[in-house]
Formats: sequence, C-alpha cells, structure tokens
Amino acid sequence: MSDDKKIGDKELAAISVSVILFGGLVFHWVAELISTLDLLELAYGTVKLFNNPLVF
Amino acid sequence: MFNTILSQYKATLTVFLVLLVIVGLEVLQVRAAIYPSLLPAFEWLKNSTPLGYIGTTYGSIYATVQAMHLLAMGTLGGLVLTTDLRLLGVMFRSTPSEVISNGTHKAFKVALIVAVLTGIFCAAGVADKVYYMPVFWVKMLALTAGAAFVFLVKQPLLNSKPHSEINPWIIRGMAITSILVWFTVAASGRWIGFS
Repeated sequence: MSDDKKIGDKELAAISVSVILFGGLVFHWVAELISTLDLLELAYGTVKLFNNPLVF
Repeated sequence: MFNTILSQYKATLTVFLVLLVIVGLEVLQVRAAIYPSLLPAFEWLKNSTPLGYIGTTYGSIYATVQAMHLLAMGTLGGLVLTTDLRLLGVMFRSTPSEVISNGTHKAFKVALIVAVLTGIFCAAGVADKVYYMPVFWVKMLALTAGAAFVFLVKQPLLNSKPHSEINPWIIRGMAITSILVWFTVAASGRWIGFS
C-alpha cells in the first residue's frame, strides 16, 4: 500500500467519521478517569497512584 | 460548481449534515426533553411483557439468555479484533485483508443480531434499573455508533475497491476507531453488570 493514494469521497467520509468518533470516545474515557479520581479523592482525601487507596 | 461538489462529496457532506443535526439536537436539549417520556416504555417492558415476566421470574432462563448474550458479544469482539488487527497489519498478514474483512463481516451480522435480541431480553428483566444508568445509555450510543460505522462507512469503503488502492492511513484510522468503539460497548456492558 502506498501513502500517496488519491482521497475520494468515501475515504474522506470514513476518515471524518473516524476522527469524530475517536475524539468523542477518548473525551468520554478521559472524563470517566477524571471523575473516578475525583471520587477517590473525595472518599479518601488523597489519591496515591500505585498505592492502594483503601489502606491509610 | 456547487452541484459538482454536492455530487462528488455526497458521503462526506452527509456525515457533516448528520453531525450538524446531532449538535443542533443537543443545543436545543431535545435528548433531555425526550428522556423522561421513555420511562413508561421501560416500565411497560419490565412489568407488562412476557420478556419482563420471564426475566424477573425464571433465573435459569435469564442466566441462559445472558450467557448467549455474552457469547454473542465475545464473538463480536473477536471478529472486530480479527478484522481490525489484520487491517493494521498486526496479524494474519499472509491472508489478504479483503478475504478476512468479507469473511468476518458475514459472521459479524449474525453475532450482532443475536447480541441485540438477547440484549433486549436481558434489559427487559431490569428495565426500570438500567433506565437510570448513564452507562447503559453510553453502551446503547456506542452500539448504535459502532453498527452505523461498520454498515455505513467502514464496510462500503472496504468493499468499494482493493485495499491496496485505499490510503493506508485511512484504513489504520478506521481500524483503531473501530477497536475503540467496540471496546467501549464491551466495557460499558460490563459496567452495567457491575452497577
């Protein structure tokens, strides 16, 4: 496969949908990670990654 | 000039039109307005249909159908990974990607139908519970987006010409997005089970 293929309508649509979906899903999972860290901080005061937050 | 662009980039313009409609519906808070009116449908599904009755009364039947749902989802995941890892050139490199994507797509359609049908039964038994779970709606949204992506975007492009004639970065982008979409469907499905 060569990198300099002409981009047609279907290719442009496919890459547009891919970028939009990929961006939306990454945003979703990053937001979930942040809210999980916030909840852990709320529950245990501080979040130490690589330490068990259940052990004070 | 406008007609030429319209006919040459029909699919791309449709994508942006759909995106514009979705953004418009969100700005006008249509989703928030529809959400409360869906509750009676979920309550009806659980309390007034045979599906809801069987799902809440017979544990053995519920467990059997749920096992079929998990097997169908596992099959879907396996088929998606087989296709997309081949498109990324990670595995099955000795087999043409056209052969793999066409072969897996047939099984994908069957697995998707089984997953949806058994999923409706599984949701019916706990319909009044899943209605309030944001993660249930994330799964439904990801499932709809994933199915639309496969049937309206990915497969039509892969079937339109030999894969060697498609820009490899577009194929890689589609494969990575596809893996992430179906990972989200699987992860949010297990999150429903955890909740």
